[in-house]
Amino acid sequence: MLSRRGLLRSGLAGTAATALGGLASGCAVPTGSTGRDMVLWYWNGGLSPKAVDAAKARFDSEVSLKALQIGGYYRSKLITTMTGRAHVPDIAGLKGEDMASYLPNSAQFVDLRTLGAEKFKSRYLDWKWQQGVADDGTLIGFPIDIGPVVHFYQPAVFEKAGLPYEPADVSRELGTWEQFFAAGEQLKKRVRGAYLLVDILSVYENSVNQGTKRYVDRDKHFIGDQEHVRTAWDRAVEARRRGLLSSIVNGTPDANAAVEKGQLPSQLGAAWAAGDLKVNVPKTKGKWRVANCPGGPANNGGSFLAVTKACREPERAFEIMTWLLNPANQVQGFVDSGLFPSTPASYDMGQLRAPDAFFGGQITMDVMGPTAERIPVAYNSPYDVALGQPIKDEIKNVGVLGKDPKKAWNEAMSKCRRIADHLGVSV
Amino acid sequence: MATAPAVDKPRATAPGTPAAPRKKGILSHWRLYAAISPFYLLFLCFGLIPVGFSLYLSFHRWDGLGAMEFAGLSQYKYLIGDSDFWSSIGNTIVIWALATVPMIALAMVTAVMLNSAVRFKNVYRFAYFLPNVTSVVAVAIIFGSVFSTNFGLMNALLQALGLDQVAWLNTPWGIKVAIASLMTWQWTGYNAIIFLAGLQTIPGDLYEAARMDGAGPVQTFFRITLPLMRPVLLFVLVISTVTGLQSFTEPQVLLQTTSNDSTFAGGPDHAGRTMVLYFFQQTFDNNDFGYGAAVAWGIFLVVVLFSIINWRLVQRRDEA
Repeated sequence: MLSRRGLLRSGLAGTAATALGGLASGCAVPTGSTGRDMVLWYWNGGLSPKAVDAAKARFDSEVSLKALQIGGYYRSKLITTMTGRAHVPDIAGLKGEDMASYLPNSAQFVDLRTLGAEKFKSRYLDWKWQQGVADDGTLIGFPIDIGPVVHFYQPAVFEKAGLPYEPADVSRELGTWEQFFAAGEQLKKRVRGAYLLVDILSVYENSVNQGTKRYVDRDKHFIGDQEHVRTAWDRAVEARRRGLLSSIVNGTPDANAAVEKGQLPSQLGAAWAAGDLKVNVPKTKGKWRVANCPGGPANNGGSFLAVTKACREPERAFEIMTWLLNPANQVQGFVDSGLFPSTPASYDMGQLRAPDAFFGGQITMDVMGPTAERIPVAYNSPYDVALGQPIKDEIKNVGVLGKDPKKAWNEAMSKCRRIADHLGVSV
Repeated sequence: MATAPAVDKPRATAPGTPAAPRKKGILSHWRLYAAISPFYLLFLCFGLIPVGFSLYLSFHRWDGLGAMEFAGLSQYKYLIGDSDFWSSIGNTIVIWALATVPMIALAMVTAVMLNSAVRFKNVYRFAYFLPNVTSVVAVAIIFGSVFSTNFGLMNALLQALGLDQVAWLNTPWGIKVAIASLMTWQWTGYNAIIFLAGLQTIPGDLYEAARMDGAGPVQTFFRITLPLMRPVLLFVLVISTVTGLQSFTEPQVLLQTTSNDSTFAGGPDHAGRTMVLYFFQQTFDNNDFGYGAAVAWGIFLVVVLFSIINWRLVQRRDEA
């Protein structure tokens, strides 16, 4: 029989062994995957689960593809493993909004040009391809999806307001911001309690996205004080002055209720926003149509796949990646997860040209496809987030709190200058 | 394990003999140190080393992935002149005060009621404790509905009373009140249970004596219950300061709107941007890990300041 002392002693020895063992194995944590594993990181909705399963089966004889959906704040988890150099995935999804911050660290990824990426280039939209290229020419990101911005609207409400309501007519007669705003005034007059725009950001953000310049240029120079941002700002202020903005907070139950009642009959959103509509306001099925976004095409969102430096078999990883993102699988991505293809060849494929009952049987690809091919190429700087935020914050104060636009602009600019100086961006 | 025989030595020198001078003082207690070591090892790995690293980080510029660049004191210089950081301290304190004052009053009343003889006492205790173990994220989503402008419960209530609608989540004060009421709702029950424990330590004969002297229930509460509850009250205050200064999830979930907007902006005029929310925005939105670390140390100093204030309050009680 064990005495109490003996029990204690063996318990302590066990603890010590565990602790030491932990430390010892800590030194032996593999940088990347082990065995015949090929680890792929993505997030819920980042790839079509069906396409991923198909890839698993297809490449099973060579590797076992371990596709992991990473929840929570994806980017911070990815850079944590990369910085910690432990259990780094072989293939990593990179979100579109984070892309600019990965590009300066191109050394962490395999240059896809060395794996023969150039021969796939013609399959993909050129502007999207360019977004995956770092300043030094390294190709990091391989295109998953894109987010062409279109005009979702409820034809019944538009008709009631005496506005054009057939998609072709809306695209043509509400094609500029001025026409769109005038329609907003008419809508407000004829339909009680209806607003054309949910908030000021939907004008400001889309206007910026329609341009070829953002907040910081390639030479690390702040350009958020220039004409293109000023125009978007003035346009947003004008929408507020003309009383076109609702007081509803976007994305809340209030907004959904207003949409259902036809009080927010119009939305300027990326193609993937159709999925949100279907989930949030299922009762409005059949009441929507899609037309061109006023002011021209823009992009919002869309992600990439990359091969990390920790990958032991880059050629194999690249083979899996290119298969996963070929035009046929991109169609699957659109059908399963609303991922809009970055491969124009997909736009003519049967499943994408199927009439969508949610949009009253409209073939939405007729609008989205041509939009996708005409998106302006803008340079995304890693400093765009930090230097765009003060301007967005202040335009929001104008929209929601009625702050004096001139004062708001000046405060945004002085804040930007301070932040630029801190980040080493020239003004 | 070579020290093992040495440990047995003191035992061999039977009780009664004067203790020999212990040269191997620390080593002779190795078992005890080993027994408490798991906590300290874990703390070293996941507490002390990251804390030390964050201090190191605050003297650098780093985007989280590339090379670190030494920046000297520039992050701290920038922090001192950063009006956004100062306003986030203000927001945190205002929200904390808005949450804590009604919470302590409500918790005290609840505790006194629970302490008097009621049926199903345990059912009530359980019910009051429930909000505290519910996920903050879930609660914040529900509160987002409660405080929504057109179809929210709160505005329905105001309208039933003949008052005007308030755009709770779209005005600076509305945001602060919404966050504070969420925190109040979540912590009232928890603190009521702690108060209840305090109330039960007050000897019954004090109340008996008061009653014999002709004191009413209100007088009894203010003359006997409240003074004797002071240490418990202080404890509750300290805990609520600690949680209040760290508020993050509440504003983050309550005020997140669309993908167009940062989840850490804190609503119009940054009314709901607390210190920790600001730290998150600088670190993870802007990928400015060096400055984020400096902000974290700024938050640390604020917490130290509040701890000193709390400590002084407790000290004064001991002197009295």
